[in-house]
Amino acid sequence: MKIVFKKILQYYLKYIVKIILLIHRPFIIAIAGSSNKIFAKEKIISLLKEKGIDAYSNPKSFNTEIGLPLAILDLPSGYNSYADWLSTVLKAPIQIFKINFPKILVLELGISSPADMKFLLSIIKPDIGVITQITSRYLESFKNIGELLAEYEYFIKKMPKESLLVLNYDNLFIRKMANINKNKVLFFGFSDKADWQGKLLKKDAFGQKILIRHGEKKEEYNLKKYGEHHIYSLLISLIVKEYVSKKEV
Amino acid sequence: MFNRVKNLKLSIIKQIEIEAAKYPNTISLAQGIPSFDTPEGIKKRVENALKRGVVAKYSLSPGLPELRELIEVSLSRENMFYDWQKEIIVTAGAIEAITASILAITEPEDEILIPDPTYTSYREVIILAGCKPIFVPLDEEKGWAFDLEAYKKAITPKTKAIFYCNPNNPTGTIYTRDQLLGLAELAEKHNLFLISDEVYKDFIFTNQPGQPQIFSLAEIPALRQRVIRIFSFSKAYAMTGWRIGYVHSDESIIREILKVHDCLVTCAPIISQYAALGALEMGENDIRRFNEEFKKRRDLICSRLDKLNNFFTYIRPNSTYFIFPKIINYFNKKNFSSWQFALDLLNKIQVAVVPGIAFGPKGENHVRMSFGKSEKDINEAFARIEKIIEAL
Repeated sequence: MKIVFKKILQYYLKYIVKIILLIHRPFIIAIAGSSNKIFAKEKIISLLKEKGIDAYSNPKSFNTEIGLPLAILDLPSGYNSYADWLSTVLKAPIQIFKINFPKILVLELGISSPADMKFLLSIIKPDIGVITQITSRYLESFKNIGELLAEYEYFIKKMPKESLLVLNYDNLFIRKMANINKNKVLFFGFSDKADWQGKLLKKDAFGQKILIRHGEKKEEYNLKKYGEHHIYSLLISLIVKEYVSKKEV
Repeated sequence: MFNRVKNLKLSIIKQIEIEAAKYPNTISLAQGIPSFDTPEGIKKRVENALKRGVVAKYSLSPGLPELRELIEVSLSRENMFYDWQKEIIVTAGAIEAITASILAITEPEDEILIPDPTYTSYREVIILAGCKPIFVPLDEEKGWAFDLEAYKKAITPKTKAIFYCNPNNPTGTIYTRDQLLGLAELAEKHNLFLISDEVYKDFIFTNQPGQPQIFSLAEIPALRQRVIRIFSFSKAYAMTGWRIGYVHSDESIIREILKVHDCLVTCAPIISQYAALGALEMGENDIRRFNEEFKKRRDLICSRLDKLNNFFTYIRPNSTYFIFPKIINYFNKKNFSSWQFALDLLNKIQVAVVPGIAFGPKGENHVRMSFGKSEKDINEAFARIEKIIEAL
């Protein structure tokens, strides 16, 4: 019963979202990867908002076959309550008539089993696709690493022609995938071969001091958060900000 | 033989529970257990993990990456910034986090300052580590606040850490920002660690301006190499049986705690780590619901104590699900002690409470009552207490 309900819900939400996206045509930034999606998403939103760009992301990590539509619809999950799900189901079509639909959507794509990516990309067509990192996380649901990597290869393959790919240079698996299609690719990473390179200058009680190099340009940033993943998030968000500004979205 | 454990005692709370088990009709206000079951969403998350076959193997010693990542997100929403890869360890409940932390930072004979009264097990863990617990009296007149002068006097060259529970068990006190900063100043001056156990931080009954609000020293960047903060899912999400919590601190400290954690448990139980994931993903509304319910029960237990104001006085708790009334008139005056009082209540009317002495010398003359129990249980326990008092 629950499986049937879930399937019906999944397709119901998917088609409502497709109608909404067709009507409002937002610029979509899709973030995939085994980790760091949420931090990259938050940083992108924060940098775009600083520039006065109207961008939206769901504060929760709604990124699955049901979560992604909910993130776009800006509706809560019913979790285990049929009554709460009923409320969400009834509110979903009303979102079609939302007047102030955001110009830019920043969405996480979460995969935990084979063919998840196929379903998620049947809902959205990203303008920017980011792969943050690929690790062995969630590997247990796949036959082998090849099957897991196939999900990300599909992501790259299905990116629309005019879209931008933002990929982690430091991850060998991701680096190798870059040639799958002819899209424009920008690499970020700690490697000096990355298009946007980050370097940790200092870590102290107040955060991290980062040097960002892009071409001939060098700039220092202070982050109050700790960890390499925040340096990656900064790099991703800077790439996105520059691209979105140039495109005048 | 048994040198390491010869000074350890089975906690008085557990002793009371063992005594209480002799009477099947006991109403226990002794156990620190919420009356609720683990929320459905969390159980569902665990069911899914079981079905996917992902719970049978060890995780990395510090815990599942996806859980630690979510913990980092949750901490950042509370103004605490810690790297999930290097600064957070998922533990088998708060007590394992406490044990691993104390073993990592101390040497035998070190002294650790703990408030008096505070949670019973701190003393035992400190002794187990070969260290000496030093009780520092809280100021009952000021609502069980820290007495910074008493702390100053208690510090010796052997002092290694100041360890406290905020909000405090058993008094339900939320320490103010100023009090905590006062402790931090002492820690800076004497180069001490600050261990902050914050397992009750989600149950806050004060929402008016001027009332105490929860504040953590882990929010202060300059203190990150001193503060070791501990949290457990047990209370906030009604998950006491799952034994899952976490510890976070600066990388330089966590690196050392991790070695002990690895020796003690290898990793926290994976099934419970999935439950914790569910809690962080879906538990927000449940925490709100529990908090509202505990606030109602706090008001109920206070109103029941008000009717017995010839026998008890109390300070209204602002947090936790404990109240710590002082016994001012006791029916068994000859053998007066909080232990005797608790035993009398248990043997005569089958109501279990924890004698205040369990929480330190200043706890004597008090008892700890839990309002984690249902309203029905609280009412029944007090009906019995009133009856015995009327009979005097």
